[in-house]
Amino acid sequence: MTIDRRSLLKLGAASAAGLALPFNVFAQSGSELLIGGLVPITGAGAPYGSGMLKAMEIAVQEVNDAGGAAGRKLKLISEDAQTQPQAAVLAAKKLIEINGVQAILGTWASGVSLAVVPLTDAADLIEMNVSGAPALSTVDKKDLVWRFQGTNDRFGRAFAKIAEKRGYKRPATMAFNNASGRGNTDGFIRAWEEAGHGKVVANIVYEPNRPSYRSELQTVLAQDPDVIVMGSYLPDTTIILREWFQSGHENAWIIPAWAANPDLVKALGNEATNGIIAVDTVSNVDAASYKDLSGRYQKATGQALSDNVYAAMAYDMVISLALAAHKAGGKAASREISAQMREVSNPPGEKVYSFAQGKAAMDAGRQIDYEGASSRLNFDEYGDSNPDFGVYVVKDGKFDRVDTISLD
Amino acid sequence: MSAYLIAICIIGLIYALLAIGLNIEYGETGLINFGHVAYFAIGAYASALLSLRGVPVSLSILLAGLLAAVAAIPIGFAALRLKDDYFAIVTLGFAEAVRITIQQEEWLTHGVQGIAAIPGLAAGASGNSVFLAILLLVVLCAMGSVYLIQHSAFGRVLRAIRDNEVAVVALGKRTAGFKVKVLMFGSFFGGVAGAFYSHFISFISPEQFVALVTFYVWMSIILGGVGTMRGSLVGSLVLVLLLEGSRFIGDFLPGVSDLQVAHLRLGVIGFILVMFSLYRPQGLFGKGGRA
Amino acid sequence: MNSVFFANLVLNGLIEGMVIALPALALTLVMGISKFPNVAVGDTMTVGAYVAFGLQAAGVSWFALATLGAIAACMVLSLATYQWVFRKLSKAPMVVNLLASVGLAFMMRSALLLWVDSQPKTYAFPLVRAWNFHGVRLLPTDLWIVLTAGAALLVVFALFRYTNVGRCLRAIADNPELARASAIRSKRLTWFLWCLFGALSALGGVLLAAKSVLLPEFGWEFVIPAFAAVILGGIGSPVGAVAGAVLLGVAQEVSVAFVGPSYKITVAFLVMIVVLVIRPAGLLGLLEKAR
Repeated sequence: MTIDRRSLLKLGAASAAGLALPFNVFAQSGSELLIGGLVPITGAGAPYGSGMLKAMEIAVQEVNDAGGAAGRKLKLISEDAQTQPQAAVLAAKKLIEINGVQAILGTWASGVSLAVVPLTDAADLIEMNVSGAPALSTVDKKDLVWRFQGTNDRFGRAFAKIAEKRGYKRPATMAFNNASGRGNTDGFIRAWEEAGHGKVVANIVYEPNRPSYRSELQTVLAQDPDVIVMGSYLPDTTIILREWFQSGHENAWIIPAWAANPDLVKALGNEATNGIIAVDTVSNVDAASYKDLSGRYQKATGQALSDNVYAAMAYDMVISLALAAHKAGGKAASREISAQMREVSNPPGEKVYSFAQGKAAMDAGRQIDYEGASSRLNFDEYGDSNPDFGVYVVKDGKFDRVDTISLD
Repeated sequence: MSAYLIAICIIGLIYALLAIGLNIEYGETGLINFGHVAYFAIGAYASALLSLRGVPVSLSILLAGLLAAVAAIPIGFAALRLKDDYFAIVTLGFAEAVRITIQQEEWLTHGVQGIAAIPGLAAGASGNSVFLAILLLVVLCAMGSVYLIQHSAFGRVLRAIRDNEVAVVALGKRTAGFKVKVLMFGSFFGGVAGAFYSHFISFISPEQFVALVTFYVWMSIILGGVGTMRGSLVGSLVLVLLLEGSRFIGDFLPGVSDLQVAHLRLGVIGFILVMFSLYRPQGLFGKGGRA
Repeated sequence: MNSVFFANLVLNGLIEGMVIALPALALTLVMGISKFPNVAVGDTMTVGAYVAFGLQAAGVSWFALATLGAIAACMVLSLATYQWVFRKLSKAPMVVNLLASVGLAFMMRSALLLWVDSQPKTYAFPLVRAWNFHGVRLLPTDLWIVLTAGAALLVVFALFRYTNVGRCLRAIADNPELARASAIRSKRLTWFLWCLFGALSALGGVLLAAKSVLLPEFGWEFVIPAFAAVILGGIGSPVGAVAGAVLLGVAQEVSVAFVGPSYKITVAFLVMIVVLVIRPAGLLGLLEKAR
């Protein structure tokens, strides 16, 4: 039985009529500040996207509970970026054109951010991302783009400092073959060579989505490194570390904290993970904002905040945006809000750790400096947060903070 | 609102151009090409690189198409020896090889970092109605040229090859030349589509040219009706509407969480594909029984 | 790079190849009888792997039992896809079946995603060090994987060669009309075939997940390697599919020493093309009659 053309046409007409439904459902109302969440719910970023979204929702709730920003309540509309630039572009257009958002937050993959920023810039809207590609710093011509993650290059330099401090002499690198993974290890190699330590003993770039990396690992281990520096993600790190442990080779590991997290320890057990050095951007020692968020996040998602470094960043995006919006006033457009970002996040100012705290201080006429849950959030002239790095060593399933690296 | 619709139409027309190329290869000639995305990628990168070096965009688009057509020649020769599924996997392998080469040869393509800030068409903007109009013109020209082919002696031979290649050979015609020419023709359109794509999206990277794109193009021609030009055009628009429209499920169903919407989308698309294959296999414009 | 190094690479390839052999076998069985590549094999593998994970997490102590549970679940799943969709499409062209299988794959993935989250998962096996034979390393887990895969393959081969069921299936594959004329009861046989498809996919999924990590999209990534193995071995030939998978696996891993990890995928395709140029119907395929 097939449908003949008549019925098909009728079906098509009905759907078209349905789509012509009032789109003013999506129009912006004056007393709300609409923000768009463009996170990777599917695709390579899927392990992180849903946590980011939840963290944003928590932040929006917090801001609205404290009375909103300059009288405006926040409303979050989210779309799946699918970790694909072309899908993200259409999603961004939908958010900008149909939903009328004032900012797009949460783009994760560098490719996605690089494709979306031209759109937000053209529409004079704020964009906030956690991508690492260095190119993002310069693509933003209007000072509307805010990066809440250290650039890959910065991470690489931090790795080099750590390796240096711990006295390693024969580093090797393994990188996931994308802009972020490569950026980390290329940054490391550059910093290592510039510091006069010579070349790394091995430098392997591996493909995504393989069931096994034995051959790649074997190539690296054949050069007998004393430390392996990774630019990787959780799934591939799990596979590689498992295969490394089973090979019996002895060496240290320096891994970014989005890949070396409690989930990794859970998957591999203590024996395989003891001694791994995990590197994360770090907030101020007084981590009141972090602890508080941690509790709420755990309740909302059933997962620990430390499992997803990007979640804390996503939370910070909303809070700092709300603080800047509060400073800019109830009628401010996106550009004006953007102009206040450094005002509320950088020193000088009284250090605040939550939206309510910041709002109260600003209402009393004081200048503030929001210290985020993810890092201290001091934005440079490119709109990049230049975080300090925390060095953690895994011991019996716990992450002990042993050091802080500052690159400035 | 209108800018969003324009963007959807542009993507739809880009897919239409891809579909027209594939339709000539499969619908007319029966060649199962699973590697169409390779020409899309070659066209996109060629046009991006040329225009960034100062070549006027209109010229770079044309050159990109020609380069893609030339790249089809080795595949054309593979077509001579291999049948159906065997040919299909070779084309698939070729597409993956192209993608990996683009990814690895950083000196030329920037590798995984991708190429950013690709200029739009001469009119200045990359996504506005002028772009749409020009693209529409190109698509119509493509359809026109295919129409001419379909109604020519060349076209008759192509359909004969599709229906009964043995007979064609027995009648003394050398099918080799026809197959290569058809693949070049289809790939030219694929390359032009890729060029338009890169100027629209302004940032390209190897991960955007995975095999899934070929799958989407196949879906377009099947949904629209294999072998018909109208089918290629409408099928592509339907595909894009399907992919984009499902995004709005969340806006209409307030009870569903945003996370679930993303996952539901996939299921809805899959369900519609299954329904299509069961109840309208010939596509929207195909004649009954001939898919 | 000494011989131990290469021996390890060959071993890696062998293990990977043996695991891909399972979905490749499933694919080739369906392609031989129903004449289309069932790309839902990937997502069936994912479903199987998750069912086993779920059963283990729910407290099933013997992993073998969890695996059997996964196999049972996927048998039902594949049978359902046949009953609901592919049975009605048995006379339809290949591309329509292909489209339906893509739709089914999306639906399976969507349903799975609504149940599980996107965090990578691993099976709860204790980690052990590898056995070291003068530098050539073999993991106990990998040995288990290879033995299980090997056992499954032997069972399938025995089924085909020595049982009535197998003989009838081969008959249907070779000549459907004649088979029907000889009153071979095809409905039960087709059910059996689809159950086998589900079982092999599930087992392949579980073994692959045991080696790596479990993510909702991981099965889809293996469709192309499995398909390549099928083509290399010759469509419809079970031995060919396995031989193809192993050959491609070994060629791929050995090439890492020469071209690096990124181009190794290209090498696999090159090997395939070379073989196809020499034997256009695959290693063990019979020369195709016109479809």
